Amino acid sequence: MSAAKPPVAFRGLSEPEGDTRRLHLLMRQRDNLWPLFVNTWDTLSRHFDAAECEAWAGAVLALANVNAGPSCLIAYWEACSNAASTSEIAPLLGAAQATTEICRQAGAQAASASLKALGPARRFLGHGAALSRWWRAMETLARQAPESVAPTAGSMGDILAPGTVQDFENFIAAGLRAGAGDHKRRLAFFSLQDELARRTIARNPADICFPDVEAGLKAFTTALWGKAPRLRRMAGGGNDKPQRRSSIAGPLIRLPEVYRGVQGDAGRALFRAAAAHAQAHLVLGHARFTIGTLKPLQVALVNLIEDARVETLAMRGLPGLRRLWAPYHIAAPGGVATAPVLLARLARALFDPTCNDDDGFVAKGRALFAAALPRIEDSAISREIGMLLGNDLGQMRVQFNAKTYVVEPMYRDDGLGLWDFGDNAPPSDEVLELFVDAMRIDRQENADSDRQQGDPDTAEPEPGRGRPAAPDERGTIIARYPEWDRTHGVERPDWTVVREVAAPPADARAVDEALDRSSALRHRVQQLVRGVRIGRAVRLKRQHDGYDLDVDAMLDAGIALRSGQEPDPRVFRSSKPVHRDLSALLLIDTSESTRDRLPSGATILDVERLAVALLSEAMDQLGDPFGLLAFASDGRDDVRITTVKHFDEPYDRDCRARLAGLVSGLSTRLGTALRHAGHVMATTTTSRKLLIVLTDGEPSDIDVADPLDLVEDARRAAINLHMNGIDAYGVVLGNAGAAAAARIFGRGNTMLVHQINDLPTRLSELYFRLARR
Amino acid sequence: MLLDAYRITSEPYYQPQGAEISTFTAAYHERLPVMLKGPTGCGKTRFVEHMAWRLGKPLITVAAHEDMTAADLAGRYLLEPVGTIWHDGPLTQAVRHGAICYLDEIVEARQDTTVVIHPLTDARRILPLEKHNEIVPAHADFQLTISYNPGYQSAVKDLKESTKQRFVAIDFGYPQPATESAIIIRESGADSDLAAVLVAIAQRSRNLQGHGLDEGASTRMLIHTGRMVRAGLPLETAVQSAIVLPITDNPDIRAALSDAIAACLP
Ligand SMILES: Nc1ncnc2c1ncn2[C@@H]1O[C@H](COP(=O)(O)OP(=O)(O)OP(=O)(O)O)[C@@H](O)[C@H]1O
Ligand SMILES: [Mg+2]
Repeated sequence: MSAAKPPVAFRGLSEPEGDTRRLHLLMRQRDNLWPLFVNTWDTLSRHFDAAECEAWAGAVLALANVNAGPSCLIAYWEACSNAASTSEIAPLLGAAQATTEICRQAGAQAASASLKALGPARRFLGHGAALSRWWRAMETLARQAPESVAPTAGSMGDILAPGTVQDFENFIAAGLRAGAGDHKRRLAFFSLQDELARRTIARNPADICFPDVEAGLKAFTTALWGKAPRLRRMAGGGNDKPQRRSSIAGPLIRLPEVYRGVQGDAGRALFRAAAAHAQAHLVLGHARFTIGTLKPLQVALVNLIEDARVETLAMRGLPGLRRLWAPYHIAAPGGVATAPVLLARLARALFDPTCNDDDGFVAKGRALFAAALPRIEDSAISREIGMLLGNDLGQMRVQFNAKTYVVEPMYRDDGLGLWDFGDNAPPSDEVLELFVDAMRIDRQENADSDRQQGDPDTAEPEPGRGRPAAPDERGTIIARYPEWDRTHGVERPDWTVVREVAAPPADARAVDEALDRSSALRHRVQQLVRGVRIGRAVRLKRQHDGYDLDVDAMLDAGIALRSGQEPDPRVFRSSKPVHRDLSALLLIDTSESTRDRLPSGATILDVERLAVALLSEAMDQLGDPFGLLAFASDGRDDVRITTVKHFDEPYDRDCRARLAGLVSGLSTRLGTALRHAGHVMATTTTSRKLLIVLTDGEPSDIDVADPLDLVEDARRAAINLHMNGIDAYGVVLGNAGAAAAARIFGRGNTMLVHQINDLPTRLSELYFRLARR
Repeated sequence: MLLDAYRITSEPYYQPQGAEISTFTAAYHERLPVMLKGPTGCGKTRFVEHMAWRLGKPLITVAAHEDMTAADLAGRYLLEPVGTIWHDGPLTQAVRHGAICYLDEIVEARQDTTVVIHPLTDARRILPLEKHNEIVPAHADFQLTISYNPGYQSAVKDLKESTKQRFVAIDFGYPQPATESAIIIRESGADSDLAAVLVAIAQRSRNLQGHGLDEGASTRMLIHTGRMVRAGLPLETAVQSAIVLPITDNPDIRAALSDAIAACLP
């Protein structure tokens, strides 16, 4: 450990037996490794004694034995050389053992990535017990999510930012839980693409992050102007950059993940100020200025005037908004009059008529704005005044750097959403610089959301016949079921193969916003929920016992007595609480035909999605246990089931994200799906079990020539469900599948929805009707 | 007169929102049944009282509830020392002696109850009392009015088509801001500034209908708030206790609504 120790140099073959010798022999043969090895050995032998070096050699041999490969060995050596002067030998040996285990479980690449992450890990956790816990957590990750080791290691600095090893362990545990059994979701989590992951490592527990406030912000902003905002989290924005501002993109409002350093109630207030400001743009004057030949400074000023204009309008109707925005206007007169400073002062002067600022430029801006007040409804004033002021400021030769300019005060948006960059009039490079950060994020997110929404035209390869699918892409096999052979009148055992396929990642907001847009429908379903509100009692008449007399029964009894007959003693009224004892499974057909578009532009699947979301919300409120499954098939050995919601899982954002992620494609092997649904429902313990199948046509699959075969098979499956106490209902969209569905489910258990747009209402009504029986 | 107790002697204040007074007058003239639709606390009850006064007819009001049976409306035999005696229910009284019968929240009653009114509300204008073995022809002055909050309708509790289609309907939305202000000023004694703020506050809550609230704040709530302020409470406190707290139990929605309300306050 101390540099004073004599070097333990064993480079000759005549030296002692053991791992040291073996390791030297091995490395001798590796020309590319030998010089580095020698250096490392020299360094280590200066710090550690012979026994320690021997142990180290053994550890390296073990690592080499699991085929760690040169880059991994080199990474290990570097890690050891770097730490030699400050560390005991034990942590270095521990690192080798852990790396060996990781290599065994997750491969050499994962192992070397982990070693590279050791640097940040030491920085945050030191060399002691915390570091070995860090290695244990990495090993656990390698065992349970081998694919995620490298991405986790790659962002170690971010992941460890919260500081303690406990946080890290929690992070790993949360990721394994969130992505249970699904490596794509795990990957999304551990590569920090997942919202939950980012929240888990959020810098400071007092920081207010967008997801924490999103629901409240939405309600607040809706209450202000009666229009639900479409809020989005803004990606990116590292710690080094200046704080990102909110940004309007078309109808969307993007808010930063966090306003750094603004915590607790102040953070919440800032988010509200930002959301209200952005929504004011969208509601009170969604200007789209043409950029023309404007200079960056002019663009910035047009933004500033437009901000003042919409806020003035907003405060006319809602004067209290002034209190919301005022705290952020802090630019005071005096100091160096650079352009950003003058702009911030002008912003304040326009916002706050009582503030004193005798700067000539600010005064001129004020005067122009005041003169334009009679035309305040007209966004053209913003462009006019902004251009004039921009000119003035330009002539004053004050410093303005488009690259570093950020809008002040902090709650305002970056202005990008106000401009129309017409294709034929591309803005100058200078102007682009003003927006460059915002635009980069914009593009990146658009690309993201395209991918997430599974754009039907691009995301999926041509569906249908004979599409080759790699085995892992086809999902995990979860069951095999028999199928009925109509021609021979026999059941073929284990004929179909069911695979669990994860929905591609998507944003739950797509579903939430579809619900928002259907507020009338939602309202109606809410009323249905209220109508059956749990806890409501049913009144029972003519009871033996009860809390009061049943007047009619009493009278009958009195009359009977007088006429010498035996009276009926049941003269009481009582009540008993309604006990809901019902579980439901919705089975959603996502076959190719659900891709068809309605005149509204929505696909059939979109409508199915909305219907399911609407009903799920209701079932959730009623506390009825329910599950959601989607199905499609590509031949008998590839019947795909996507679990959108397990029975025992809460109906949360993740479920809605999976619902949003469903994509159309492939065929409809209904019988197998019904059998699987029966299997899933077998675990529920309620006395009534409802299975509702949403489908848009008759069963079919690529390997079955006569659809009647599948109809018959599905019919038998439905009968079987019935025998197992499950009531199966078919909800058929359009006219195509009517006859088949009636055959499969029975006429009384089939609901035809001719107008697909009626589905959401009809589905919920069906449920409530069935649930009452 | 028999129904004197049901006569309204002084004019109930009613601020028209649209053509409802002439619509109702015409319907009454033709003795057509009327259905008043609208959210809670928007003046339906007050309107019927006003119309009964205006038309000079007695008004018998029945609040429907889920235990209500046909007998509760039509009547039943009661036991007396001398034997059983038939007692007219409130509906039968109105039919026999000529009153406006107002069935409040009709959907709350069970469906078998609502069928009782069918023969009364078509050309027959009769009330068959099966138990009493009598058919009561409606008095010339009799008219039936029901209220119906579409917000509460559900598959479980919805009027049957055959019931709905018997009625002339008048829709009560939330009044226009100026009208609503006038109502608040008159009913709560608030001044016009306060009334205007209350109307703006109500609008915030109505914006949340379907986005976290089932229904926005009613005119009734605003009047209550105005009265709390008149009784000396600060506006913020009055708004909290008379609007925000009663209207929702969801903490997020409460906070959002409170913040939006704060935006209305000068
Ligand atoms: N147009 C109006 N003119 C006068 N007063 C009104 C008017 N609208 C509402 N009000 C006031 O609002 C209060 C509530 O109205 P009312 O009781 O008639 O409501 P409603 O529609 O019958 O409600 P619910 O459906 O809950 O019974 C009344 O007491 C009255 O003070
Ligand atoms: Mg009423």
